Amino acid sequence: MCESCIDRLFTLGPAPCPICNKILRKLAFTPQTFEDLDVEKEVAVRRRIAKEFNKRREDFPDLRSYNDYLEEVEDIAFNLINDIDVAETEARIAQYKIENAAIIEQNLQREEQYAQYLKEQEEADRLEREQRAAELKKLEEEEREEKEKGRQELIDKLETSDKDVKKLIARSRAEAMKRAAARIITPALRSTSHLLRSRAAQSTAVPDVPHVPLQDDWYAYEDKFTLRDDYDDPVSDAVRKDREGIMRAGGYRVEEAWERALRFAVAGLDVRPLQGLRSEPPPASTSQDVVMTAA
Amino acid sequence: MPLRRTRQPGSSSSVSFLNADEELLLVKLYAGKVSQLCGHFRFPEEVEATAVTYLKRFYLKNTVMDWHPKNVMLTALFLATKTTNHPIALEHYASHIPRTAPSDVLDLEFLVAQSLGFDFAVWHAHRALWGIWLDIQTLPDIDMNELRKAYDVALTHVRASRLTDVELIYTPSQIALACLSLASPGLASAWARSKSGSPESSPSSPSSTPSPEILVLELLEPIKSMILIQGSPPDVEAVREVDRRLKLCKNPEKIVGSNAYNKKREAQERKAAEKRARKAAQVRQAMADGDPFGSELAEQDMVDDDDDDD
Repeated sequence: MCESCIDRLFTLGPAPCPICNKILRKLAFTPQTFEDLDVEKEVAVRRRIAKEFNKRREDFPDLRSYNDYLEEVEDIAFNLINDIDVAETEARIAQYKIENAAIIEQNLQREEQYAQYLKEQEEADRLEREQRAAELKKLEEEEREEKEKGRQELIDKLETSDKDVKKLIARSRAEAMKRAAARIITPALRSTSHLLRSRAAQSTAVPDVPHVPLQDDWYAYEDKFTLRDDYDDPVSDAVRKDREGIMRAGGYRVEEAWERALRFAVAGLDVRPLQGLRSEPPPASTSQDVVMTAA
Repeated sequence: MPLRRTRQPGSSSSVSFLNADEELLLVKLYAGKVSQLCGHFRFPEEVEATAVTYLKRFYLKNTVMDWHPKNVMLTALFLATKTTNHPIALEHYASHIPRTAPSDVLDLEFLVAQSLGFDFAVWHAHRALWGIWLDIQTLPDIDMNELRKAYDVALTHVRASRLTDVELIYTPSQIALACLSLASPGLASAWARSKSGSPESSPSSPSSTPSPEILVLELLEPIKSMILIQGSPPDVEAVREVDRRLKLCKNPEKIVGSNAYNKKREAQERKAAEKRARKAAQVRQAMADGDPFGSELAEQDMVDDDDDDD
């Protein structure tokens, strides 16, 4: 309805709607945000329901019950949007509210706190950014001033003293470099330490999940052999005697090769071969069909 | 499978096919030829051992009558050079082997890889033998000369074991210990005893359960007999006989250019074309229905279009 009509009809109090004759108040009219009226209605219904049905996944013992809850909520929403059993659905909502009053309250609180926390974070971030921008600007200003001063001094010295021109210029340039280096170090330190401190003050310490090491029954035959430092071993002589260590450059260590060989030698010593499938050799007669195995 | 229609042309009831032992002879001969080739190319022993293993594993799944071992051996050796990190160029390889074109080697490569189950890592008994050599030095009172001689003899036994089936049944450590035991039983049993961890003298333990070392040594007996009996290259005459018979009973479907091969090719292509047409019809039907993913599943007759292993 256009604004002027709303004013005309409803300023003097609640009045019947011109189309369906339901009693409405002026306060109940909201400006339309969506082009499609159905969408607008749906959004309004969902906004209203979401105020009451605000449970989260953590409130449920398992996924199944959470999904059941969600289905109920969708059911109610569907009924309200498409005007099916409106009275019954309203009764359901009322019943849910009575049953879960406490939990709804809790959840509201929690959401409020979360919103608050987010706002604070944003504030802090903004402040930081502003501070950093201000600092940078200050630094730039200082740099410019110093450069100007340096140039002025140079000109003065050139005017007044009669020393070698080149030497003077070189000296002034060296001083300028020193100043620049010193400047870079100190502000950087200052700003990062500032950042760290503020961040540490803000974040609340979340305790780590206790570490559960991976446990399985991996057996690498370690108890079956002990690696010695040195063996009489013609196979690895070339590598060991190599003075310049060219062969060992890639990180090759003879001990690793020895360990691998030893492990090979003891692994599976007591494994029995597979039994069974002891088939008879096929009879030599050629009148039978031959089964060709697929390639 | 050939039907029992005797007297019909193309029936195979009058052909005498090879049995398992004869196929084994042929495979063994070509396994020996792998050694010659490796010597010619100066490949390390690892390559040779890997190639022989690939050959044996290939013929676990396929038959000699389908794929002649000559080309399979070349392909297995080429594959072995690649997987053991000693690769050579295909042209170089094929040019050094008389009467071989590079395509002979490449055609079978995927087939060999598939029959191996794409398991290219092979654990040989050589490293286990080296490990035993190193570990025996930790035992007290070992004579280094005796050990050295025993090691060399054991190495020849390991090479002989390549021609047998032991590596398909027993673990590399067992094979290595068996070869050492053939070379020097004393050293082998001393080492086995030290490994079993049982105390030397325990009067309280009942003698009903044999100590673990005895179990291990018993396990070695069949390995030793296998190596001694089957570890020698086969008799050339017998192999020649087998080869002659093989010429008659080769699977014609695998020989390029023969009638059976062409027929099989045509049948395959026909099936593929049918499958394509069926798929196109399905898609067309689905688009006509208005839903690109097809609507009612129950209306289609379930034809399994998956690739069979042909």
